[in-house]
Amino acid sequence: MTGAQILFLVCAGLILGSAVMVVTARNLMHAAFWLIAALFGVAVVYAILQAGFMAMIQVVIYIGAIAIMFIFADMLTRRDVRESRAQIGRNWPVAVLLGLLILAGLTALILAQPGVGRVAPALPSGLDPVAALGKALVSPDAYVLPFEVASVLLLSALVGAVYLAFLKKQ
Amino acid sequence: MTFWNDPIRFAADWLRDLLTGWGLAAQMTDILLALLGALLLITFSLVLAIFLVWVERKVVARFQDRLGPNRLGPFGLVQPFADIIKLIIKEDITPAGADKFLYNLAPVLALASVLLLWAILPLASVIYGVDLNVALLYLVAAGALGTLAIIMGGWASNNKYALLGAFRMVATMISYEIPMVVSLLIPAILAGTMSVRGITEAQGNVWFFFLSPLAAVIFLISAVAELGRAPFDLNEAESEIIAGFHIEYSGMKFGLFYAGELLHAFTFGGFAALLFFGGYGGFFGLQNLPAFAWLNNPFVQAPVFMLKALIGYWVIMWIKYTMPRVRIDHMLAFNWKFLTPLALILLMTTAVLDRVLDGSNWYVPGLFLSNLLIAWATVEILRAHGRRQRKAEAARVGTGCAQAGAPTAQQ
Amino acid sequence: MTPSDLLSILPLLVLVVWACALLLVDLWLKRKGVTAFLAALGLALTAGLALAQAGEETTAFGGMVALDGFASFLNVLFPLSGLLGIAVAYGYLKRMNIERGEYYSLLLFSTAGMMLMAHAADLVVVFLALEFLSLPLYVLAAFARPRLDSEEAGLKYFLLGAFASAFVIYGIALIYGATGTTSLSGIVAAIEAGSLGTSGLLLTIGAALFLVGFGFKVAAVPFHMWTPDVYHGAPTPVTAFMAVGAKAAGFAALLRVFVTAFPALDADLTPVVWVLAALTMFVGNVVAIAQTNIKRMLAYSSIAHAGYILMAFVAFGNPATRADAVASALFYLVTYALTSYGAWAAVIALEKQDPSAGSGQAASGLEINDFAGLGRRRPALAAAMTVFMLSLTGMPPTLGLVGKFYLFRTVIEAGQVWLAVIGVLTSLISAYYYLRVVVVMYMREGAPETTREPWLDFTWAVSALATVILSFLPMALFAWASAAGVMGF
Repeated sequence: MTGAQILFLVCAGLILGSAVMVVTARNLMHAAFWLIAALFGVAVVYAILQAGFMAMIQVVIYIGAIAIMFIFADMLTRRDVRESRAQIGRNWPVAVLLGLLILAGLTALILAQPGVGRVAPALPSGLDPVAALGKALVSPDAYVLPFEVASVLLLSALVGAVYLAFLKKQ
Repeated sequence: MTFWNDPIRFAADWLRDLLTGWGLAAQMTDILLALLGALLLITFSLVLAIFLVWVERKVVARFQDRLGPNRLGPFGLVQPFADIIKLIIKEDITPAGADKFLYNLAPVLALASVLLLWAILPLASVIYGVDLNVALLYLVAAGALGTLAIIMGGWASNNKYALLGAFRMVATMISYEIPMVVSLLIPAILAGTMSVRGITEAQGNVWFFFLSPLAAVIFLISAVAELGRAPFDLNEAESEIIAGFHIEYSGMKFGLFYAGELLHAFTFGGFAALLFFGGYGGFFGLQNLPAFAWLNNPFVQAPVFMLKALIGYWVIMWIKYTMPRVRIDHMLAFNWKFLTPLALILLMTTAVLDRVLDGSNWYVPGLFLSNLLIAWATVEILRAHGRRQRKAEAARVGTGCAQAGAPTAQQ
Repeated sequence: MTPSDLLSILPLLVLVVWACALLLVDLWLKRKGVTAFLAALGLALTAGLALAQAGEETTAFGGMVALDGFASFLNVLFPLSGLLGIAVAYGYLKRMNIERGEYYSLLLFSTAGMMLMAHAADLVVVFLALEFLSLPLYVLAAFARPRLDSEEAGLKYFLLGAFASAFVIYGIALIYGATGTTSLSGIVAAIEAGSLGTSGLLLTIGAALFLVGFGFKVAAVPFHMWTPDVYHGAPTPVTAFMAVGAKAAGFAALLRVFVTAFPALDADLTPVVWVLAALTMFVGNVVAIAQTNIKRMLAYSSIAHAGYILMAFVAFGNPATRADAVASALFYLVTYALTSYGAWAAVIALEKQDPSAGSGQAASGLEINDFAGLGRRRPALAAAMTVFMLSLTGMPPTLGLVGKFYLFRTVIEAGQVWLAVIGVLTSLISAYYYLRVVVVMYMREGAPETTREPWLDFTWAVSALATVILSFLPMALFAWASAAGVMGF
């Protein structure tokens, strides 16, 4: 077992454990912090996969913006966030069963994929993945259209959010 | 390769030979050396933080026309150690109702988010933790963790002032992150890389400050906001919310926040130096001449970098102890209505000019002039806006008086 | 980027630029009527440009988008439905005190998303188009805030929409995992290469998840739960636009992706779609009977019609009838668009703000019983409403009959006789509640208060006339839909 594999297993454990805590934590704020832990674990997995850009973006966007906005919204809710009802409904055995079935199915499928267990080839030296990604995002033969559509999409979301949040001055 | 050209690698190689000579596996040695390197870097920065306490206290005293610490040791240099002893022997309080785990994690995370930055801070061309190709994003990401620490501390303290401080911090960080990222993109565009070392090396002949002074200013402003220092220190505004997010922290836990803040300020001074002022190099091409080749020696570069970083730190202190605190709505309006649009316009101009003027003699003056032009236009717009507002205010006050006066006249 | 890349999506580009410009221009416009006019102008221009593109076949942006008969057909349909969305909203927004410029910009953005969906030849673009058309719709559904039911509609639509998007993206991820590409042509190539092995199952699961996500968008049973509440709570013009545009866009994506990329999966997926279609028709029509509110009734009717269109879709894997299936689905979409817009316009004419209630209250005049006496008070409107109800049922002399006939014929040709039988039977059921509206209008005494607004009257009048006249002369539309049934990449 290589160092990367050990690191991956530790991270995977962290992600799964935190994810379970997110849904079971009784305290809303704790759930948010556990979510951050899970997201951070994912960032580490990206780093292990040599996707430094993705790792950084994961931290900047998901932890730095989204999770913090979650916490912010939590703090702004009038409801007392310290204690709340049980997080588990009555139908949990069914949910667990379904979840396990899906897990088993997906695991079986993925294990049956060709190339499972192969060590990822090292990136060719001299390749700058960030530069390649940047070029792909603005290259007309690659992803320029989705990239631009995403920006217009965000603009429309922004307009909508402002409309919904904006209180007309009386 | 000698010790004088590349001290870190020289020492590392020597140590590696020694350890493998003792029969350690090569992989194990690498891990050990990496840990040792991280430990060295952290120790260095923490020792630096002790020194910074003295610097901060001395400088603030000077700004406030005082002497500052001068009793312990020459120039009061031993004072920080007395501070530390005081902090350590103070009672370590965890308030009742606090969320113990998060409460204790927050100061650690606050300091850690700063120490993380040191991984990408090159002290010299051969002395650096890691040369990431996404270093600028890493800088922002570490900042996000810092925010997280403050929210954690603010919330876990179970104190309304702490929570208010955390609120304000989040509002600040989320807003000022945008101009900061944009102003970071400008050196990235100019250098064609996001690696801090690459950006520094690209400033061998001319500092990016001369290509884009506005970007440097925007970076400085948003850095001050990110640091949560005056005039943007709303998260701990003493006169309003006592001490903000760290109100409940005592002893060394407070010390960690404090050390983190000072080190953070110094680190941002260092990043300003690296991104805009040539960092450890940037002797305007002098270093390429054979007679001045000694400028490339790490033992010259590292002190030069530290000096520039200290100057940056000093400017941040200068701002802190000169400017009054800004009101929260003013602060957010300043960001969204002024800094962000300005940064975006600057980014677009720089990106276009960088491409258009590439290779021409007009590259440096063109970019510099474009910055001047944008700055001038901004100032003019602000001036016109201010005039309009003053006029509106005068009209409002005037009519208000008239209305108030009218009934009296009728009576 | 070559000019031809840009030219191939010119209508879309024009619309997006127009929407952004409108957003700015709106800041300086005091009279929102001007904004409405400008938005309508942009949509008309877009529709014209799209019409001019008819007959072209090309791909652009490295295979990200395709311009073919299918795309240009829908690219005319979407701006026209946007135009009607503006026409019915023009007076309504003023009446309900929610006249804001953002309505028009958001509607334009949403229309642009739908048009992108018609073009999409890559799953990445499909997903982005889905979000692009949905996000403005979420906001539009909550447009009458702080009216509680509108806010509820917005939130419900948003949460469930995000949930459905997650299904779509998971499906896309699995498809990508199985084939190593997101482009539809690449997926076909990967399937034809036959080297999928166990990945084939992964691909099927991915396609199924994709179906679930879009099943939500088109309101197919059992993913329809949000529809009545959202259609009921949203401002009525938004509901009309949503019922036509979002549904058509959802079907555009399903048709494009399943017909071009997944015909090989038909053995696994056809039974699934079969059950979906049957369930949707059945549940939609049966539950509609119990509704007393006209908006909820039309919502269930919209669910039922999703079932009819899904029925055409069952034959996606059959190469002989595939083109016909697409053509009949498109034809039926046009039928449904015309008819349902007309019906919603009639609803808007009766809807009014409850004067006794505060600003947070719902509008009134939306019960089916509120239509009582309409035949006497507004004979023309009642006649038009009768046409729409007949058309939704599928009775002569309306376009609905032609659409259903075409649809059932395709289904039978594809060998799904039992499905066609279910379709006919559920249509019979639907006659009950559609004709009840007609009965209430003509046979019951009442004094409904209606609003006369030129654009609203124009909408229902034109829809009614078109529904009747086109039923006698369907051949042009027929030919056009058939041309659109052949998809290139």
